This record gives sequence, structure tokens and C-alpha cells, in this order.
Amino acid sequence: MASSGRFWLIRLISCLLGIALCFGIQSVAHMLGNTYYERLIILAGLYVTLAVSLNLINGITGQFSIGHAAFYQVGAYAAGFISVHYMTQLHMGGYAWMFLMVVVGGIAAAITGFTVGLPSLRLRGDYLAIVTLGFGEIIRIIVQNSDALGGSYGMKDIPKDYAIWAVWLLAATCIATCRNLLRSAHGLSFLAVREDEVAALAMGVNITRVKVTAFVIGSMFAGAAGALLAMFEGFVSPPMFSMDTSFIILTMVVLGGTGSITGSVIAACFLSYLPEYLRTLQDANHQALMISGASIVAGILSALGSAALLKRMLEHASNLKGRLIATGSSIAVLIVAKLALTPLLTLVKPMAEKQIPAEQLRMVIFALTLIVIMLIRPSGILGRSEFSLDWLKRVFMPNRRMATEL
Amino acid sequence: MTLIQRFTGQIAAVAALGILIGCGSPETGGAKPNGTATNTSKGPETTPDATAAARPVSPGAGNKAGGNTLLIGMVASVNGELKPWGDDCVKGGQLAVEEVNAKGGIDGKKIDLRIGDSNSKPEQGKSAAEKLISDGVLGIVGEVASGITIQIAGSAFEKGIPVIAVGATRTDLTAKGNNIFRVCYTDAFQGPVMATFAYKDLGLRKVAMMTDKKQPYSTGLSDSFRKKFAELGGEIVDEQFYESGQTTFSGQLTNLKAKNPDGLFMSGYFTEVGPIARQAKDAGLNVKMLGGDGWDSSDLFTSGGEAIQGGYYCNHYSNKEQRPEVKDFITRWTAKFGKEPATAMGALGYDATMLMLDALKRAKTKDSKALIDAIADTTDFPGISGKVTLKGNGGDPPKRALIVQVGKGELIPAKAYEWDEVMKGAAAGSTGQK
Amino acid sequence: MHPSYLIVAGLDFTALPQQLVNGLLLGAIYALIALGYTMVYGVLKLINFAHGEVYMLGAYTALFTSWYFGFLPNLNQYPNSSFWILLIMLAGSMIVCAIIGVLIERFAYRPMRNNSRIASLITAIGVSLLFQYGGALFLPNSPPPSVAEKVNPFGGAFSVPIIPADAKLSEVVKATQPDYEQKKKDLEEYLASTGQEEFSSDPQVVAKRDAKQAAEQSYMDAKRKLETSGVKVTIQRGQLTMLLTAIVLMLGLRYLVLKTPAGRAMRAVSLDFDSAALMGINVDRVITWTFVIGSAMAGAGAMMTATFLGTPLTTQYGVQPGVKAFVAAVLGGIGNIPGAALGGILMGVAENLVVWIGFSQYRDAIAFVVLIFILLYRPGGLLGSAKVEKV
Repeated sequence: MASSGRFWLIRLISCLLGIALCFGIQSVAHMLGNTYYERLIILAGLYVTLAVSLNLINGITGQFSIGHAAFYQVGAYAAGFISVHYMTQLHMGGYAWMFLMVVVGGIAAAITGFTVGLPSLRLRGDYLAIVTLGFGEIIRIIVQNSDALGGSYGMKDIPKDYAIWAVWLLAATCIATCRNLLRSAHGLSFLAVREDEVAALAMGVNITRVKVTAFVIGSMFAGAAGALLAMFEGFVSPPMFSMDTSFIILTMVVLGGTGSITGSVIAACFLSYLPEYLRTLQDANHQALMISGASIVAGILSALGSAALLKRMLEHASNLKGRLIATGSSIAVLIVAKLALTPLLTLVKPMAEKQIPAEQLRMVIFALTLIVIMLIRPSGILGRSEFSLDWLKRVFMPNRRMATEL
Repeated sequence: MTLIQRFTGQIAAVAALGILIGCGSPETGGAKPNGTATNTSKGPETTPDATAAARPVSPGAGNKAGGNTLLIGMVASVNGELKPWGDDCVKGGQLAVEEVNAKGGIDGKKIDLRIGDSNSKPEQGKSAAEKLISDGVLGIVGEVASGITIQIAGSAFEKGIPVIAVGATRTDLTAKGNNIFRVCYTDAFQGPVMATFAYKDLGLRKVAMMTDKKQPYSTGLSDSFRKKFAELGGEIVDEQFYESGQTTFSGQLTNLKAKNPDGLFMSGYFTEVGPIARQAKDAGLNVKMLGGDGWDSSDLFTSGGEAIQGGYYCNHYSNKEQRPEVKDFITRWTAKFGKEPATAMGALGYDATMLMLDALKRAKTKDSKALIDAIADTTDFPGISGKVTLKGNGGDPPKRALIVQVGKGELIPAKAYEWDEVMKGAAAGSTGQK
Repeated sequence: MHPSYLIVAGLDFTALPQQLVNGLLLGAIYALIALGYTMVYGVLKLINFAHGEVYMLGAYTALFTSWYFGFLPNLNQYPNSSFWILLIMLAGSMIVCAIIGVLIERFAYRPMRNNSRIASLITAIGVSLLFQYGGALFLPNSPPPSVAEKVNPFGGAFSVPIIPADAKLSEVVKATQPDYEQKKKDLEEYLASTGQEEFSSDPQVVAKRDAKQAAEQSYMDAKRKLETSGVKVTIQRGQLTMLLTAIVLMLGLRYLVLKTPAGRAMRAVSLDFDSAALMGINVDRVITWTFVIGSAMAGAGAMMTATFLGTPLTTQYGVQPGVKAFVAAVLGGIGNIPGAALGGILMGVAENLVVWIGFSQYRDAIAFVVLIFILLYRPGGLLGSAKVEKV
């Protein structure tokens, strides 16, 4: 192959670029000079890995898995357990140990993914979903009842060895794997399984192998992320991997657009930061901002109402102008409805009297964001589209004709 | 090339490059200041205080006060399953700060209490703590639950910020570092108190246990009770488990009944203890019921109904106590919030915040380092829940415990145990064994 | 004597009948909630994750209704309860839940109907979170569970003996009773005359207390030995009412689905959504009715658990029963109404058997273990049919 050399050169350059980006993120984090932001950046990186790896199973292969936190947990506990018990014996430490643990966590989770994936193959859709959820719960309960793993209290004193670049390098590796998979012939068979299993089978796709591969790769990355979590926190406990965690990861995938890796990355960053941003809901004096119950209920109702309205109007809007009008008018409706409903609800005495500190609204706003985005863009923020160089070129150089598109 | 070969190749290439660069230049790789953590190589340094356990000294520099206010943080479960306790804890903290500010604050500076929500989850508690620390708080008050407190303690340890836990009774918690304190007793005290009371005062010999496997608090308390009760000569005939959130316990209770116990020790929270008591009576298990401070709530009567009446539990204090400071506290609380604190976390949250402010007043310079020293130096701090002495005790104050009997719609203080009474000879108390 | 021949391989078979009955009672509630999941899934192919929250709101409705009738917490005097108050509470919960169910469908699920199922699912999760956390802003924190025994007129229990108790043991009870009562009186009189507290460390009090406790030990021990010498099954009247109500509701539902035009329309929609619409069935109305009935069933279950089991309410009240019931629905074959009932009861029994063999800490896991095993052999659930989904 004549282009082989060039192929590898491009690969090498993109690898180097990816690594440079990871170190760039780390430098930015250090420039902020605040461990709180570093923490957010690390957690965002872990969530990106989780969301992209779940997207491989859910979005790309179309297997409805909602127990991703289980693999995360397996990786975290495997790395934690080995670090606690064998690190000093093996006379290792630092980055080498971190790398080893990421591999260990990944392998442990991949084995779990294989065991979950293989028997679940006979199941489809919602049945598979509930089985993955069930495996998650079973693993959580086993850990909770195992004294060697610290039981419900959790495993503490895990030696802390982590680096921001490593977290993001894992995320980049995960993204690269999924992206390259999608561009390859093998990836097409993944997509075929998603689109129509029967047709894929008829076309000679080995469905079993595709599904198991998706499960194994997806869970491997989740496990590797878990290992990094364990080494970052120095402590892991069962509530960190509860059903909610699985739902949050799933939400990231769907919110970003099922099947869109770019979407998962954006949604993971957005959703991991949103609850933290909502912590800053305070008045000018940093005191709890008190909001009346009537105002909150009015806000929720008018947000839902105007989202539903916007959805309906967007369905009929054919061009950009129509969409802008729809958006503008539903925002107007939102404001008017909020202003009109608040005094109306104030007539209900308990609602008017109830004063609620804004910080308690954190999770409410989170839930509301979820519903509203799903109402307005059911296919997720990005749908199935991806960020790519071609896309950039199209945006910035609209005159140039693109030769081919994949 | 097969799929697997192709991708493993690429993954390995990316990862190996990363490792090469990472390992080759750890300085530029950003190990500083928080890239790779330092725990692995750090040996435990000992405190000069010989009586206390040797606790690792926090390496962090801490925060310094700036501006016209003194920032204090509180992490509490404002959302989630621990909300009943979290709400009371926040109210207690707010009451304390309001009172100090009304008296002119500290050194003419007002206190600013910032609340961080842990959403009843360890990792979110840690994020909340990190946020508060980056906001510049001098110290953190909280949490109610041990599992969340250990996470907060981890962050605070690295940064050198003092933490005063409110209701976290897990024994090994304060071993984390010299900046972790609490205003409550530990499970290593609470369990033996109830075991002694059950064996010596109630004359129980065969006790069955119900443990909430989901709550580290419950498993820890059960362990310490089991140990002491067996030591005294009693027998634990059976232990059954449940998880908080479950609503039916008839299966476990049927098993327990077959073992003929004369007492039932329930180490969980009142949310499940009430229904267990009801269902135990329904199952014909008419035995004396015992428990820990997780029972403490004004809702215990209604969640347990008549079934829980006659039960005993170990508490930090009681709203009904006749001590003047308690009466006064209840009056002030009711004036501000309209009703009595629903759980003991109200008083403990108040005590923890007050202790923090008291130490801040005593601290020579208004920064975290001096604050840690001032808290560690606390002697006979007059808390609502009892005197708190941290000097020479590590992070765990030897406090009194009050056993209360659940009466008909009221709590009757039954017997108070002083620390020494129970812990005498018990391996130098809980502060020693980590 | 304790029928020790019934203890085989560490398992106490004397407790088995009781455990099976416990399982049946628990399963009836799971079944009621599972019906809602299964019906919604049947017509919409949507896992209604907010169903657990409907259940939670039903429990709160029952609580508030009982407050309205004067069963407020921490009173000294309670009004007399009656069957009618319970019936009103039941009806109230069912109606409120039905309304909430319909509102959720109208505002959250209907706009999503033409979109992918996973998007509806995320919306359902969002609605569930909104109710959990939004509800916590307004609903009281873990308030008392409707003063359960006060509002419950079906006090007491009745027992069905399987092996009668040993008559000889009642002699021992009679023999030890006077001694215990004498010692107890001694202690009380002494405390009253000297004004001492019961747990004081005064040597006189300690001696009298120890004597009383020793007598109490032998008396209570004899009593308990008598009690466990036979094998019997005890059922609370309240729980029996719960079971019977659940059975009546499920039979009513079966009649509704199989014998009425509305039921026929529901089955048609569930079989083929588009064809049903083409055949002139008002699909929107059928879906509304599905939510009405499914949510009302959850309301009934919630009212009964809140009243007869007495767990304090929080806005997380519905999470765990919701998940269990969902598993029960899948176990029976989701979309299949008798399947949901069967799955619920099977799960209740399985949970109690796990507890019985001594693994109570794995009780929550067993639901999923059973589920996984059954799905591996019957991929469509027990009564469901596994068909290839066309995408």
C-alpha cells in the first residue's frame, strides 16, 4: 500500500496532538491554581470516558445497557484492592503503578463485561436493560457485604497516584478507539447491528461477536476510569456507584445524542459541571438565596409548558427564520407565564409562605434541564453528527467543495 | 488485520507514548502541586501530645482570613436520603452564627457561614468541601454521616483545613489526620454503653440484632455492641440484615423469633427502626428493644407507634432534659424556627459550629493552622449536648451518653453514662485503637 | 418441646409456612405496582420510570387524608377509625395518583411519542428526579406514617395452627408467673417508697432489680418456649385486608381488560398501535385510561403500605418499591397483566425465602438473580412471549 506510510504518519501526529492536548488541559488546570477546579476537570475527564464508552454500547451498537456504573465500580475496586494490599510488596509507585492499575481495572471490568454480555445476548431491548441494571445492583450488594472490600463504609487509604493528563489521556484513547471503530469496516457491522439485527445477521454479520466486543471494550474503558477514580479519591464506597450514577452516565449519552461521540463528550462535561455550577446559586452576600415556593412552582410549570410549545412550533418551522421566531416566542411565553403564574400561585397560602433556599433547587434544576432538552431536542444536542475537520472546513470555508464525505 | 489486533495496536501506541512522555519528565508532567499525590511516601509524623493517638499531621497550608468577614463552611445533606438530619444540622449552624453575629462577631468581624450540599453522597460531599475550601473557608463543619465525612476529611487533610464532624460516630474517622475533630461520641463508646445497659441494668442475656447493611454507621455500631455484649457474658443469638429503604422486615423477624431472644438491638436509623418495631410486635416478638442515636427523631413515636414504647436508645442529649442550657437552647431554637429540633443533629450542628467559632475566637491568628491548634486545645467547651474536651484526646471528645426510654409520646431520660464508667480498661478508649 | 426434627441442615422449617405467607403479602404489593409498569409498557413500550414517584405521591395523599380525619401525629386522643375512613383514603390515593399519572403522560410523554423510545426513557428519568427532588421542597420530611395503628381498624391478628403447642409447657409458665410478679411488685414498692430511679446504682435497688430480672428471665423464657413449641402461621388482620384488596383490584382489572370495550381497545392498542388507530380506536384516550388505571393501582398499593406497614415517608419512598415492581413486571413478561401479578408474588416469596435461609443481606440482590435466571431460559419473561423487535 502506497499510502501506508502517510497513514501511519497521520496516526502518529494525531496521537501526539492528543497527548499534547491532555498536557494542555493539565497546564490549564494548574494555571487555575485551585484544587476544586482540578477536581472538576478530573471528574469531567472520567465522565467523558464513561459516557463515550457507554455510547459505544448504547448508541453505536444499539444495545440498551443501563448499568454502566457496575463496570466503573469493578475497575475502581480492583485497582483499589490491589493497591492497598500489594503496592508496597511490589515496590512500585508513581506513574508506572498508575498505568498498571488502569490496565488492571480495565481488564477486571472487561472480564465482568464479558460475563454480563455473553449470557445477555439472547435478550433484547428493555430486557437487556433490566439485566444490566440488575448486574449493577448485584455487584453493589456483593461489595457492600464483603468485608475485605470495606463493606458499606468503603475502601479507604488507597495510595493516591494520579495525574490530570492521565485521566484525559484515557478519555482521548477512548474517544479515538470509538471514532476509529466507527470509521472501519468493523464499525459498520456495529452500526448494522444497531439499525437492524435481523438484516445484519442476514448480511453475515456475527452479531454475537459484535455485541460482546462492544460490551467488552465499553466496560474496559469504564473499568480503567474506575481505577483512576480510586487512585484520585483514595477512597471508594458503594454509594459512589449507585443506580443514580448509571442513570447520569446514560443521560449524558442520550443528551449528547445517541451515537454521537462528540455529543457524549460535550454532554459529559456539561452535566458533570451543571450541578457544581448550581452550587453558586447564592445572593450577593453569599447567603442562601430564598425563593418562594410559588415562584418555584411557577418556574417549573412555565418552563415545561414553553418547552412543549417550542417543540410543537419547531415541528412546523421549516427554515431558520421560523425556528428563531419559535424560539423567541416560546421564551416570551416562558417569561409571561412565569410572571402571570407566580402571583396566581401566591394565592395558595402554603406556597406563598414557603421560603426555600436556592441551594436545595440544585437537583430540581438538573431534572428540569433534562426534561426540557429532551422535549426540545429528543435526538440529543448533537443528534448523530460528529465534530470533525471536514465539519470545521465546511463552517469556515463554505466556498470550497468537499471532495468526499464518509 | 483483525479488529482486535488493529485497535490494541493503536491503544498501545497512544498509551505507550503517553507513558514515555509522562515518565520521562515528571516535573513537566505536572506532579506539582497536586498531580501525583504524596501519600505514598509519607511516613506518619507524631503529634507531641503523648496521650492522644499519633495522628498524621496535615501537610496543607490552610486558608487565611481576609476582608471584613470570617468564612466558615458547612457541608450538609440538604438533598437526598439524609435530608432530615442535614436540615437540622444547617439550622443549628445558622442559629449559632446568628447568635455570634448578634453579639458583634469575632474581633469585630462578622461570620459568614457557607453551606455546601453533599446530596447525601460521598463524592458530592467532597466536591462541596473542595468548593468551600477554594472559596477560602477557615474551617468546615460537617457531615452527619461517617461515609461522607471521611471524604471531606480527605480533602481538608491535604489543604490543612480543620473539620468538625457533627454526628459522624464511626470510630476510625478521626485517625485520618490531626485536623479532624468531632463533637459527638464514637461508636466505640455508644455500642458498649448499650451493651452494658442491656446486660447489667436490663438483665438481658440473649439478644438478637438487626443491622442496616447499607449504612456504615449501623454495621459499625452493631460490631461494637456485639463485642462488648459477648465480653460481658451475653449471647448474640442471631443477626439479621436489611437495607435502608426497605419497608417489610417480616422475613427477618420471623427468623429472629425462632431463636427466642430476650432483647432486640437495632442499630439503624429511625426510618427503618419504627417499622421494624411495629412488624416485630406483629410477628409476636415481644422483647425489649434497644438502639443507638440513629433512633433519635421526633418522628420515632409515630414511625414506631405503640410498638416502640418501652424501647431504650443511646443519645447525645434529649430535648426534654432539665439542664438549663438545654432548656435555653430549645427556647432559642423554637423562637427562630417555630418548632423543636426534630433530631439531635440540631444541637450537635449548633455545638460543632459554636466550637468552631469559639476556637476561632481563641486562635491567635485568624487562619486555618491556628484554628486547628485552637480546636485541638479545647477544654470543657460547654456544648448543649455536654462538655467537649479535645485536648489530649485526639479528635474524639470523651462525652457522656444519655440513655432514654421511649415513652408514650415523650422521651424519658433513663440513665446517663459517663465516659470513664464504660471505657475504663477498654483498651484506653476509642482514641487509642485505630 | 421445640419441634427440632424440623430443623434440617441448619434450616428451620418451622418458620417456612410463615415465610411463605410473608412472601405472599409482600408480593401482592409488588404486583399492584407492577401492574402500572406493565400496562404502560403494553401500550406505549415505555418504561415509566416515574411510576415509583406516583406511588410515593399516593402514600403522601393517604397521609394527608388521614390528617384530615384527625389522625394527626403526636396526639393523646385519636378519633375512632372505621372501615369507611380507610375506604376514603384508598379512593383518595387512587384518584390523586390517577390524575398525576395522566398529567405526567399529557405533559411529559405525549410530546415525546413520535421520538425514539430512549428519549422518552430519559424524559421519564427526568420526571422521576423532578418529583423526588421537587417534592422534597414542599412535602414534609419523613413525617409520621399516618399513625398507622390508629387509623387501622383491623387491629390484631389471627393464627392458623399447624402443629399445636406443647400443653405441658403452659404449666411451667403458670409456675413461674407468681414469682416474677412478686419480685416486680417488690421492686416497684421499694422504688416508690424511697423515691429512687429504676436504674440507680444503689445496692438495694440493684439487688431487687437483679432478683426481678432473674424471675422475669425464667418466666419470659417459659412463655417463649411455649410459643415456639408449636408451628403456626400468623396473619395480621390489616395485612390480610391488604391482600384481599389487592386481589379484588386485580380481579377487577382483569374483568375490565377482558370483558369491557375499553379493555378491548386497550388490548388492541397494545397489540398494534398503528393498526388500532386505523381501526378507529382513539389511541390518546386509551393511553390516558391506561395511565389512569395503572397509576390508581399504584395509589392503592401506596395507601395500603403507608397505612399497614408504617414506614416514614420521604420523597425517595417510591424508588425501591418502584425498582422491585419493575423487575417483577419484567419477570412476569412485561406488557402481560397476569404476568405482573405472578412476577410480583414470585418476587415477594423469593425475597422471603432468601431471608429464611439466612442471607438477609442479599435480599435486594435476589430479585435480580431470579430475574436473570428466568430471562436466560425464557427471554420474554414467565408469561410473555419473546418476539423479535422490528426497529
